[in-house]
Amino acid sequence: MNRRASLLPWGLLFPTMAILSIFVIYPAIQSLILSFQDVEPLSKRSFFIGFENYEVLLKSPDYWQSARVTGSFLLLTVIPSLVISLTIAVFLDANPFFQNGFRTLFLLPVAISSSMAAMLWIFIYNPTAGFLNYFLDVLGIHGPNWLADPDTALIAVAISTVWKELGFNIIFFLAGLSAIPNELKEAAELDGANGWQIFRNVTLPLLSPTLFFVSVVSVINSLQSFGQIHILTTGGPMGETTTLVYNLYRDAFVKFRTGLASSEAVVLFTLIMIATTIQFRLAKKRVHYG
Amino acid sequence: MGVYMASVEIQKVRKCFGETEVLKEVSLSIREGEFVVLVGPSGCGKSTLLRMVAGLELPTSGTISIDSKVVNTVPPKSRGVAMVFQNYALYPHMTVRDNLSFGLKLAHVAIPEIEKRVKEAAEVLGLVKHLEKKPGQLSGGQKQRVAMGRAMVRQPKVFLFDEPLSNLDAQLRVKMRTEISHLHRRLHATSIYVTHDQVEAMTLADRIAVMNQGQLEQVGSPLELYQNPRTRFVASFIGTPSMNFVEGELLYLIKAPHGVASAGFRPENTFLKQGKVSLGEGQVVLVEPLGSIAYIHISLKGNYLVSEMKGHDWPEIGSTTEVFIDDSKVFYFDSQGKRI
Ligand SMILES: Nc1ncnc2c1ncn2[C@@H]1O[C@H](COP(=O)(O)OP(=O)(O)OP(=O)(O)O)[C@@H](O)[C@H]1O
Ligand SMILES: [Mg+2]
Repeated sequence: MNRRASLLPWGLLFPTMAILSIFVIYPAIQSLILSFQDVEPLSKRSFFIGFENYEVLLKSPDYWQSARVTGSFLLLTVIPSLVISLTIAVFLDANPFFQNGFRTLFLLPVAISSSMAAMLWIFIYNPTAGFLNYFLDVLGIHGPNWLADPDTALIAVAISTVWKELGFNIIFFLAGLSAIPNELKEAAELDGANGWQIFRNVTLPLLSPTLFFVSVVSVINSLQSFGQIHILTTGGPMGETTTLVYNLYRDAFVKFRTGLASSEAVVLFTLIMIATTIQFRLAKKRVHYG
Repeated sequence: MGVYMASVEIQKVRKCFGETEVLKEVSLSIREGEFVVLVGPSGCGKSTLLRMVAGLELPTSGTISIDSKVVNTVPPKSRGVAMVFQNYALYPHMTVRDNLSFGLKLAHVAIPEIEKRVKEAAEVLGLVKHLEKKPGQLSGGQKQRVAMGRAMVRQPKVFLFDEPLSNLDAQLRVKMRTEISHLHRRLHATSIYVTHDQVEAMTLADRIAVMNQGQLEQVGSPLELYQNPRTRFVASFIGTPSMNFVEGELLYLIKAPHGVASAGFRPENTFLKQGKVSLGEGQVVLVEPLGSIAYIHISLKGNYLVSEMKGHDWPEIGSTTEVFIDDSKVFYFDSQGKRI
């Protein structure tokens, strides 16, 4: 290879690398360094304190609570979002008549900004004037104060999160489903499979690459949720919706404990890495490409 | 393998997709163990008819019976039919073994029985070495065999084939054609076979059903259709190269009876050197040598004729040559295309 050819790839990579370095890699390294320091609020003074921030975190009941909340939130968002969007996508795939209109309808929430969406849900969840309790009333059920009740707040936030992400997942599932040849389902039908068996033995395995991609993205999105929590509950009531990210935000930008917040960022990063790695491991056995 | 066969009775079956009528009152009875080939131009409704027998499509009216039992509302799996699809439709995520046994597992066939049938089919089809492979690792011919195997292990009463060989290259197609023929002679299973390929139709069929624009034009043995076509369409569709047709003034030369709109004669009855009746001189436009024979294409008074010629002393392209026919081997058709 001549010199020009060997330089070309580097030249092409340079703009991306430069942007990534300035906005991602450098701050990440800074966070890592800060996580071993005690940073005085609103000043530039900081001291190296080893693993003390991490110790504080692990001993903090609040932090453990936010870890538990994050776990619950993960289950409450990822699983329903996958199940519901897959169900809707399968229905739309089987009924092309509905597809165009409904695809747009389900995609609408994705297009709305997350703060706008959250404002909408504030109206819906309003205990006295909101739609949700109005309809529950009609059914003869006395609805709770959704966002202020510690038992329902996380569920309420999760519902709004699932609603917002549904369309994104549906689009991917629809694309995946339309790539499965109809003949395969017909062959399975002739082989004696009923609807569920076709889904279980043909559709799902062939959809597994899409399912895998969507679930990885959903887990990451869920772990990083912030906007809707900030607007709907600001982490309350009684910390029941304070996730790891929201806790981090409060430590960093409300309490100005920069060092501690940095260590939280490192922990969060590690958790996301672990979650994704586990998913990739599981995928090796289950996902059928091509 | 045992003999499992059934008769198939298609009675006045119509099929519409929305407003368009794709099949118009098709009736066809197929005897037990018979091999019927459906041929016809693209879009004439062959696949649709086959899919209705399979149960993948509902007839708009009319009845389909298998073993004298009306199956219109019977789901595909309970009809005792197996289908080989044009693109094989193998499950890409399953091994060949699982592809073969999937249907049997669903039917709760005992494991030893499943293993026995898979082994048998694999031996017959030469797939023993490939049982643990996935379809992506197989050649076209092997995939085709798996598709056949998947149909065989279920021991269906009726085999349905929708252009099963059309994705194979010419050589493999000939090979698989002979294999299907052997298989049929062994299993004697009732089969309905859709194809575009003349030769497949002629060599495999007990009877050929020629379809055109959603209707059956004629049903009969290959020889019957060849020697005694009832319409101009069948005459032109059966036989390669196609029958020659002449219209207009040439009809006087061959002394066609009154009411004849066109006359047809096969290339093997069209001669260049001598013959019973001369059609006059034409110009050679194309010579297709095929080894022992050659097809000479001739333009004669606005008619396009092909002559099958033995030997190697072909006329040159562009030269003129006299054309003769055997007037005892001429078919006459009226203006509707019906045989006179
Ligand atoms: N699901 C469908 N909806 C609407 N029209 C259809 C449908 N399936 C087939 N058709 C129409 O019915 C006609 C017959 O189709 P069919 O597939 O039976 O033809 P074919 O004889 O098998 O043709 P080919 O030899 O090209 O496979 C075609 O005009 C086709 O456009
Ligand atoms: Mg077809």
